[in-house]
Amino acid sequence: MKNGRDSHDTYKYVRTDTSTLDKVIDVHDVYVKRSKLRVLFSYIGRLILLANMSLLLIEKDKLSIVSFWRLFLGVVSAKLLQYKPIKKVMVDGSVTFPPINYIRSGVAAIHIERPPLFQSLTDCGRIDRKFIQMGKILKPVLNECVTPVTCYWSLVLVLRDDDQLALVFQKLQPPIKILVPVWKALCKSTNLEDHSHSLK
Amino acid sequence: MEESRRKHRILMVSDFFYPNFGGVESHIYYLSQCLLKRGHKVVIMSHAYGNRTGVRYITNNLKVYYIPWRPFLMQNTLPTFYLTLPIIRTILIREKISIVHGHQAFSTLCHESLMHARTMGCKVVFTDHSLYGFADPGSIHMNKILQFTLADIDHAICVSHTSKENTVLRSGIKPETVFVVPNAVDTAMFTPAPTQLARDEVVIVVISRLVYRKGADLLVEVIPEVCRLFPHVRFIIGGDGPKRVRLEEMREKFSLQDRVEMLGAVPHSQVRSVLISGHIFLNSSLTEAFCIAILEAASCGLLTVSTRVGGVPEVLPEDMIVLAEPAPQDMVRAIEQAIDMLPNIDPQIMHSRMKSYYSWHDVAKRTEIVYDCVMDSSNKSILERLPRYLICGAWAGKIFCLVMIVNFILWRLLEFFQPAESIEEVPDMASMCNHEDDN
Repeated sequence: MKNGRDSHDTYKYVRTDTSTLDKVIDVHDVYVKRSKLRVLFSYIGRLILLANMSLLLIEKDKLSIVSFWRLFLGVVSAKLLQYKPIKKVMVDGSVTFPPINYIRSGVAAIHIERPPLFQSLTDCGRIDRKFIQMGKILKPVLNECVTPVTCYWSLVLVLRDDDQLALVFQKLQPPIKILVPVWKALCKSTNLEDHSHSLK
Repeated sequence: MEESRRKHRILMVSDFFYPNFGGVESHIYYLSQCLLKRGHKVVIMSHAYGNRTGVRYITNNLKVYYIPWRPFLMQNTLPTFYLTLPIIRTILIREKISIVHGHQAFSTLCHESLMHARTMGCKVVFTDHSLYGFADPGSIHMNKILQFTLADIDHAICVSHTSKENTVLRSGIKPETVFVVPNAVDTAMFTPAPTQLARDEVVIVVISRLVYRKGADLLVEVIPEVCRLFPHVRFIIGGDGPKRVRLEEMREKFSLQDRVEMLGAVPHSQVRSVLISGHIFLNSSLTEAFCIAILEAASCGLLTVSTRVGGVPEVLPEDMIVLAEPAPQDMVRAIEQAIDMLPNIDPQIMHSRMKSYYSWHDVAKRTEIVYDCVMDSSNKSILERLPRYLICGAWAGKIFCLVMIVNFILWRLLEFFQPAESIEEVPDMASMCNHEDDN
């Protein structure tokens, strides 16, 4: 059994990798540390909105266009400063094999598998899941992205019969040292799939 | 001695790069390839071209950043002064750049990159590829910007001695900080025709953008006169532009449809096939810092007739080029002289001579010397560098100082909110490929 951990200022990476005769468990967890500054800003945004609404209630006899503009700006600032952090993202590439006696009898190995699972857990408890069939993955790729103000790495999947690349981490930008082990594991899983196809 | 030379990490910056084709674009591409072969790390930065945005790898793993800033005028990005600081800082840190090499005075991205690189303490080099005037409003404005950029530069490169004089006069920098490194030509790509053309009919080839600057108006005067004096001469004109209409009208007016062939825009990959169909190459530019087109023609074995402007007289020896003043009569005289010289021209010998005169590897070697000089120059703090801007003018000097101070403050703010340690360094492509092979 191999386990790995790595830490970064914003992200913590934990890997669970267990192999037995009939299954391989390979789970990558990326934990996101909460930013105290952003939490503070989100409270300030809510406070501004609350103050504007209270002012509106107090001035209800003397309402003017300025009051509504103030409310609008309060809503906008609360929305902009809103902080809904992602707590954890899990990439599960576990694979299950058929029992060993099938292989000994010479029957072509039937590769029973659960497709890789990409799951993100937000701070408020909401879970977003996405399954991608292993056979649909052509290749996992580490991609360098360039925006008008910065550059970052992302892990994407090139899918068969699909022009769009599938992002493994939809909203996060983990550092490369966390992306590399996930990428290697996905490469290994897709290579395993290619080998099983060749057995047929 | 070869193994002990220093290896540099260079960022080439310009608004002008592939997929555009031109003198500056070719220069950056070939120079980068030769520097890669010499063991340096080279990365190129330009703006996005349509859907071509992000990181691309071209020949020999040459990395290009097409940053998503759209061009707004003549392929130039919008000048924003400070908005490009975050992306340039990120690229300089993640690629561990030691030298920023900007190209072309007309490139706003180049000027901004050099400014930010100096603020961050990087060494900078600037290459000027064009000649500019002094009197018209556009040139006055351009020269002031150049003065600002070159005020604090370590070294500059010009493509000819004439270009060096022009740059020194326009920007006011010290002549001893300017190196002259001429352009070159890919002689492997531009080779003569396998069999020599028959000389019963003389073909004159013109390949250029049909604009005022390239002397298209001169062609309108010269071609009918040459066709009248020499019945066995015909012209092939490749290129497009606003002056094409004038040439078409000239062809109609003098009924030269069978003697003047207009090809339209010629893709760069087909330039050689057009050149080898002619005996003489005609260049009528009104201004040229160097003129790579003449080198390409000479490499294909053509005798060149050109206007004596800018750096053109420095490009070829007298037996390979006939020079004329940019006036129709003198150009006709020069074409007559070239036709008389044709029997003595051997395209294969001309090509061999060009191979020995010009080579991109030589350009890379000479540019490397400039980089070594730049790295040997001392580092100065912002307070020591500010006086260099004050001498740029009574008001301009103070404005330039203010711009640099604000840039410095913004850089320090960026350092506080996003420390350099938080920006990951990019592993080299070669080591990443080895990693993937191991998997």
